[in-house]
Amino acid sequence: MIEEIRNQARHLLENGEVDVVIGYAEGSDPTRTTPIFVRKVEDVDKLIFDERCINSLPLFLNKRHEFPRKGWKKTGIIGKGCDIRAITQLIAENQLKRDEVFIISAPCEGVVSHPEKWDGKLHDGNRATKCTDCDVKIPVDTDFFPVDKPEVDRTAPYQVTAPQVANLMSLKTDERFAFWREDFDRCFKCYACREVCPHCSCNICITDRTEPSWIDPAAHKRGVFSWHMTRAMHLVGRCTGCGECTRACPMGIQVDLFNQRMKDVIQDHYDYKSGYSMEVKPPLITYKVDDREDFIQ
Amino acid sequence: MKTATIQKSDLGKAIDLLVQADLRVVAPRLQPTLDGPDDIDILMFQEMKSGEGHQIGEGILTHNGIKEFLFAKHEPLFAYELKGKKVEITPVHHEYPRTVILGVRPCEAASIPSLEAVFSNANAGFEDPFFTKRLERTTFVTYSCTDADASCFCTSVDIQPDDSTNSDLHFTELGDGSIHVEAKTQAGEAVASILEPLFTGEGDQAKREKMGKVAVEKITRLRDKAPIRAWLDENANFDDEMWQRLGEKCLGCGACTFECPTCHCFDIVDENKGTKGYRVKFWDSCQFDHFTLHASGHNPRDWQYKRYRNRFMCKFKIYEETFEAQGCIGCGRCIRGCPVNLDITEYMAEVAHKAANPAAMQADPDFE
Repeated sequence: MIEEIRNQARHLLENGEVDVVIGYAEGSDPTRTTPIFVRKVEDVDKLIFDERCINSLPLFLNKRHEFPRKGWKKTGIIGKGCDIRAITQLIAENQLKRDEVFIISAPCEGVVSHPEKWDGKLHDGNRATKCTDCDVKIPVDTDFFPVDKPEVDRTAPYQVTAPQVANLMSLKTDERFAFWREDFDRCFKCYACREVCPHCSCNICITDRTEPSWIDPAAHKRGVFSWHMTRAMHLVGRCTGCGECTRACPMGIQVDLFNQRMKDVIQDHYDYKSGYSMEVKPPLITYKVDDREDFIQ
Repeated sequence: MKTATIQKSDLGKAIDLLVQADLRVVAPRLQPTLDGPDDIDILMFQEMKSGEGHQIGEGILTHNGIKEFLFAKHEPLFAYELKGKKVEITPVHHEYPRTVILGVRPCEAASIPSLEAVFSNANAGFEDPFFTKRLERTTFVTYSCTDADASCFCTSVDIQPDDSTNSDLHFTELGDGSIHVEAKTQAGEAVASILEPLFTGEGDQAKREKMGKVAVEKITRLRDKAPIRAWLDENANFDDEMWQRLGEKCLGCGACTFECPTCHCFDIVDENKGTKGYRVKFWDSCQFDHFTLHASGHNPRDWQYKRYRNRFMCKFKIYEETFEAQGCIGCGRCIRGCPVNLDITEYMAEVAHKAANPAAMQADPDFE
């Protein structure tokens, strides 16, 4: 399979159809892989794809990460089904044009949740939550798929939710608040959760604004809570559930639980799931006169 | 200095004794967190009320460092209030409890003199009172490594897994359930005297030396630090192609800097409410895009790879030049914590390679 992907990348670069192919390469130790920008044909053989390829590469298509994109007119990108959801969402939000990107889909049977859990194979103990009941193993929209691509019915709601969300929701509000109070104590505001997110698109994040300073930059309780709540709210109806924010957190705070919860809320209220259509706009960035409002209290 | 042995199974009791002696005890413990898929074990230095659940000597390194117990993540410097046209300043009361930090790994202990060189530098005529008072009142009980993971590289920066240079009291497992204890300072002896009821005999120096070397063999990430400083001192190398090539995947989060035991940059803001507030000092990171952003809008480190270049230069040149202290202590936290596997040791290897092969220094045409 990787040979087909490499051949496709080689073909694209040789014919000048793309300036670069973004993919995965071996990392600096056997449990890790790393993003690679392949510009030269001779580097194509560095491309790999397996269960350790956890990064969501579409974040490099986000205009916020300006430097790598300098001079790229058309980008080839290797993505898992969930990554292609992120690309789809970027296009739906006008952050990217469909003809600026050549999507190479990698058939994916799930990835590991954290490199440190990798023990040579994927199993129930180390598979990322998003990979259970994944409905985009056959990707939504793609330019190249190395095997036959059957039609898939994806009309059912996307309901992959970690059991932690239900556990938290079963608590009383003050108990839940107490949990996050303690858990957020570890946060030192490195913003890895923001930087790995394919959908954090602002050139200047609200937390970096100083006039006025909306969010206290210090990592005390007020600063941490206001950051994480704002981050979660800004992603409502936009998050495609890649789980990278939790995976990237050096302090092991499961921040994507907020996003998972919000995904259910959006599905219930707006019948919308992000990353499945390049045309349908996310509900919270559009407006219709007959929008439901009976839930507003 | 006298030595002793203590049983590893008695370390919980050791914490209890120190707590009973009215000391604030900090030790590694697993953070209770939400069980389920995608969770990982979070080993954290935490304040202990008893010895229950301690993980001294377990795992490789904690997620948080000892740094936050010396250089707080955030602290108010003073309070202010606008009264008419005058500003009234009032000091903020800080507590500096006597603290013992147990289970510090030798690499991390090597960061103590580095932080001291920055924050309480008598030569430079500057002392951060908060840091200095905390350091004075903290005793470090270090613990030799007998294991290493794929990210460890202390030996590449001249630190040994059983180094006791920066210890007050140093523990080394002897492999039979007992621990060799050696006091290195008066503060260490004071802690040792509290632990004395738990001592089971004299130390075994020969066995300690042998066990101290066990981890060396397990370290797989080996780099040559020697040529790095001279290569960085060469001005032309500031614009070498490798900075872009290796650094372009950097996302600009601050995980490496906040995890780093020797990173020490901070910012100061006024947290205002109406006519009063606090002036607050808190951690900042050179990896953030606004770290060097001038008021004019100009940013001398305008791309992310330049920010990572700064981080590497800080560790291997600026720290040595400005503070005469060691920048990188080889703990590997920045490697473990990086979301895109940007690896400081790959930079080290690349520099060593370039220093040995000057012809390889040509610019890459792809970046022109």
